[in-house]
Amino acid sequence: MALIAELRLCQIGDSVEVLSSDQGSASDIPAWIAKVRHELVSVEERDEVWHIIVKKLK
Amino acid sequence: MANTDETVPLFILLCAGEHERVQMAAMSASVAAVSERTVEVFVSMNALGVFYHGDDQVYQGGEFSQRMLEKGAPDPIELLKQGREFGELRMIACAMSAEIADKTLQDFIPGLFDEIGGLTRFLADAERGQLIVF
Repeated sequence: MALIAELRLCQIGDSVEVLSSDQGSASDIPAWIAKVRHELVSVEERDEVWHIIVKKLK
Repeated sequence: MANTDETVPLFILLCAGEHERVQMAAMSASVAAVSERTVEVFVSMNALGVFYHGDDQVYQGGEFSQRMLEKGAPDPIELLKQGREFGELRMIACAMSAEIADKTLQDFIPGLFDEIGGLTRFLADAERGQLIVF
């Protein structure tokens, strides 16, 4: 929900990075991004923290 | 913009008042709503008490409920509010249950319900979508 709120506030073309210790986020966020048609820039795990970068497309 | 060509509206019939079921219903509703599906939640029977305003609120749960509270799982009422804020999520309190419980729209958490309505219309609307019962 925090990602959705942030995407609403930013401009088209902006990117948002989500940091999460929840592995579910690493699969749920890309699935949600595909569903609502934004762009998934990258998903990386570093030190048990998932870094997910999303670009707002609309 | 809700409901692309690939999706149908989601209708949730929430009757159980247990925290675990309310949690799952709220998660399903909010995720669907923020994923551009229109959602309608019809709240009836024991579930109605979860949404009473103030001290009248009735909340029950089992072992998993306790674990969710300890781990700080998102509050289902907050999830429903967020689903309404970020998506198209309508909530209807069952007219029959509200009458039996002697409650009006003003007795529920402010801003959460759109109306008190009947099951017949909800089920008629649900014919055009996917129905899940909790």
